[in-house]
Amino acid sequence: MRHALALLVLLVTWFSAARASAGQVVVWHAYREAEERALDKLLDEFRAAHPGAVVESLAVPYGAYASKLEAAIPHGHGPDVFIDAHERLADFRDRGLVAPLPLSVIDRTAFDEKLLPPLELDGKLYALPIALKCLGLYLRGDATPASLDALPSLAYEAANAYAHAPLLHAFGGKMIEGDRYAFADGPAEQSLSWVAAAVAKGKIPEEASEALILQMFSAGTVNAAISGPWFAADLPRDLAYRVVPIPPVTPGGNKPRPFLTIEGAMLAPKPRDPELAGELLKFLVAPSSAIVRAREGRQVVATRAAWTDAAVASDPFLRGFADAAAEAIPMPTSVAMRAAWEPTTRAIQKVLRGDVTPRAAMAEAARRYADVTRPLPPRADPRFALFLVGLIALFGAFAAVRAARDPQFVREVKGSVSAYAYVTHAVIVVTLLVGVPLIIGAATSFFAGRSGDLHYVGLANYWDILRARGGPLLASGSFYAVLAVTILWTVCNVVLHLVIGVALALLLSRPALRLRGIYRVLLIVPWAVPSYVSALAWKGMFHRQLGAVNAVLRAIGVEPVAWFSKFATAFAANVATNVWLGFPFMMVVTLGALAAVPREVLEAAEVDGATKWQRFWLVTFPLLRPTLAPAVVLGAVWTFNMFNVVFLVSGGEPDGRTEILVSEAYRWAFNRQAQYGYASAYAVLIFLLLVLATRLLRAQKAAA
Amino acid sequence: MAAVSIRQIKKTYPGTGLTILKGIDLTIPDGSLTVLVGPSGCGKSTLLRTLAGLEKPDSGEVRIGDRDVTTLEPRDRDIAMVFQSYALYPHLTVRENLAFGLKLRGTPQADIDARIAEVAPQLKLDELLERLPRALSGGQRQRVAMGRAIVRRPSLFLFDEPLSNLDAALRGEVRVEIRRLHEKLGATMVYVTHDQVEAMTLADQLVVLNGGVIEQAGPPLEVYGKPKTRFVASFLGMPPMNFIDATIEGRVARAPGLSVQLPKSFDVRDVTIGIRPQDVRPNEEAALDLRFELVEGLGFESHVHGRLGDDGAPFIARLEGDEGRKIPKWGKLGLSVSPTDVHVFDRATGRALS
Repeated sequence: MRHALALLVLLVTWFSAARASAGQVVVWHAYREAEERALDKLLDEFRAAHPGAVVESLAVPYGAYASKLEAAIPHGHGPDVFIDAHERLADFRDRGLVAPLPLSVIDRTAFDEKLLPPLELDGKLYALPIALKCLGLYLRGDATPASLDALPSLAYEAANAYAHAPLLHAFGGKMIEGDRYAFADGPAEQSLSWVAAAVAKGKIPEEASEALILQMFSAGTVNAAISGPWFAADLPRDLAYRVVPIPPVTPGGNKPRPFLTIEGAMLAPKPRDPELAGELLKFLVAPSSAIVRAREGRQVVATRAAWTDAAVASDPFLRGFADAAAEAIPMPTSVAMRAAWEPTTRAIQKVLRGDVTPRAAMAEAARRYADVTRPLPPRADPRFALFLVGLIALFGAFAAVRAARDPQFVREVKGSVSAYAYVTHAVIVVTLLVGVPLIIGAATSFFAGRSGDLHYVGLANYWDILRARGGPLLASGSFYAVLAVTILWTVCNVVLHLVIGVALALLLSRPALRLRGIYRVLLIVPWAVPSYVSALAWKGMFHRQLGAVNAVLRAIGVEPVAWFSKFATAFAANVATNVWLGFPFMMVVTLGALAAVPREVLEAAEVDGATKWQRFWLVTFPLLRPTLAPAVVLGAVWTFNMFNVVFLVSGGEPDGRTEILVSEAYRWAFNRQAQYGYASAYAVLIFLLLVLATRLLRAQKAAA
Repeated sequence: MAAVSIRQIKKTYPGTGLTILKGIDLTIPDGSLTVLVGPSGCGKSTLLRTLAGLEKPDSGEVRIGDRDVTTLEPRDRDIAMVFQSYALYPHLTVRENLAFGLKLRGTPQADIDARIAEVAPQLKLDELLERLPRALSGGQRQRVAMGRAIVRRPSLFLFDEPLSNLDAALRGEVRVEIRRLHEKLGATMVYVTHDQVEAMTLADQLVVLNGGVIEQAGPPLEVYGKPKTRFVASFLGMPPMNFIDATIEGRVARAPGLSVQLPKSFDVRDVTIGIRPQDVRPNEEAALDLRFELVEGLGFESHVHGRLGDDGAPFIARLEGDEGRKIPKWGKLGLSVSPTDVHVFDRATGRALS
């Protein structure tokens, strides 16, 4: 599906590029449903007002939005105007994806003055504010609580740093201050204690995800929930609710100010028709357009004049979020802010699990933040590497020349020209899809910095990883600790896959078994279901309060387990999920191999005096081994790199200790300031480890 | 060593509802080599597997020596079996194959080595002990399979068509080898085959099975010479016995192109006369009037195919040496037969009349 979509995007953008000309403007957005309908309606109006102009719009899935922009704009087939959150502006500017707005389109008086500075870089405005998004309090019933303490129950993603921010602010804390990490300063101790106590009292649900909150609020299990405007889209249509700014923790206390995201309309550096693009920008934020977006798209619009419209001003939902936004703090766009999320979220999780005191968690978060944001390795002299590459190229050229002069080699090549012709397309495809990314990935591991600003650092990334970033070698999160977990993970999984797969295959291969075909299909089902679907289902089953596993435990009188709060249980949950996903493969392989074990040999063993167990252990199993050995190697490699399960089920909890090497590499690339070089070094190490392991296994097999 | 007795064994395969054994009674004397023979599907293999314990009979009793083994597992029966496919353990060397059963029974290693050292030369396996089965020829594998049975020193050997995967030349050789082995070991053996040559040459006791019942059991020459049923008569002998539907008038049986003297008179009028091809002699007296169709010359003998009378029953005569070749095409040949060589069967029941 995603591939099809990507293809479509490519096609569409290609066509639009082919027709690039004056009188054309392309708009990209990540809107769905009501917001998309409102935007489409506005674009129709714009078309009507500009006969002859070609106005195209494309909805790109949010997850793929930034990477699509990055892929399309530099090559001239991206949008002219696109809508995105202000937090990304600095990043986009660094990558050359966005241009300052021409003064002609800017009317600063149309918006609240607080909204423009976040959209400015170096004194130039880069986007026009479209809509505002922040957290508010959803309420069922008429009563408006004076304080959070007055609420009997409250659902929100307590473990999430973004959702915790309003509380932190209410207690006078800050996430960052300038470029400094301020979470560990002190007030966070109070906010963390407050949440921990509320969770302990059962006022706030544990391990609440957005889906769970939605379910609880819709069902009336809770009458108050903290979420953003996006939450409303999934609520039942007939549900009566209101939105108000989050009230103070205690009556009369500080306001819990949430972070504010400003959605802006941005301009690509080289619009096809600058004038038309400017027209469109102005049109999108014009009061009449803003009213349409507010009324039909349910957007909390930034254009001040729109709020003079009676319908907009009196809409309780819009009004509620507008009030919330008025108090909200625009989200800082600095690198420090982006690096703050992961350590903060982990600290909150640890406190909510009751593992540590808020103070200890804050100190650790500060340490983590410092580790992630520490200066990049210094530039290294690339001459030696260049010399090496040159030397290799020279040797390659030398070998090629020698081969070309060897008449026999030439004859052989000529003799197989047609054979080469047949495999050319496959070689090209494999080179493009496997070879090139591999080489680029490996090369990236010698660089540091963010994309667009990479510098060569030699082996510094590897050196950093291999000396555990200077900390104790087996400290939690160090390469060696993660490697040990990964090996334990692989061994546990492969052994269980093998035992369960072989045992089930033996059961299924009994000719006396009735309904064999049905069992076989049922047992293969876990394999057929996409792994992330199963992983999410298992994650739900392991939920402490609402999961099926604990429900079963409760039913048989066992104390419910907080699965993701201890390493052993979180690891066991991961293993259970992956065993569920992996045993059918071993079972199918074993079934095939069993069919090749001659019946007479087993009968011979039976006559020779072997019991059932001896027949399996002395005859069947040795005969299965040649088939199972490659399956085990394959299974081990898959398991070693089983990202889905670890990422989706435990997500590394508790405290990153169940991460395996691939998921750790992912964190470095995508959760910790896009340290692609560092993550690539991880990937290369994983690759080398696997090559080494398979080599050893093969050597051992050859020796046996 | 032990005698085997089988009483009223019945076996129906579940699912198919096919009755394979319909009440078998058989006694296998101690130290004898009993051959079970019959066409495919006659139940001979099932009977052997019942002896082994690989199949459990629905009813009846199997005794080996003085033990009732009917419900015992194969491993508790003290038997050894040689399979058609040899069923060697592919992952074990010849030595390990031989030792497998002994090890399972906890035989001391020294004893195992001694037994292998004793058996291997007999079967010419001493050079092959460290090889894996896949590195052996068919004949060698067959010998390993036999060796695996012999080292066990069981009270009963079972052979399930052990020669059918060998080529013809080797088959004759191994056949003699098995007979020699039997003489030497003096062990009780049960041997299943569909090959009448193996059956005739090996057996002390020949048991002919058909459709799940024993047609006849006895020493091979007796079974051959005095077949109790038309089926047994047809199954043994090469070329097969000639059968001619005839009517009896006094002591003479008549059919188109045939008029033979019988050794005695019979009550039944409608019979089937059986005459083995080698029991006829060319003779001008012409008790049989053979219209010649073709001849198969083998050098040491020839088989003359033809019909009795103008359009009577088909008939094959075996003549010594090259005689058959001398008959002119579409010529006539007069044949005579001794009254004692004429087998008389009730046409309705197929039973021999005596």
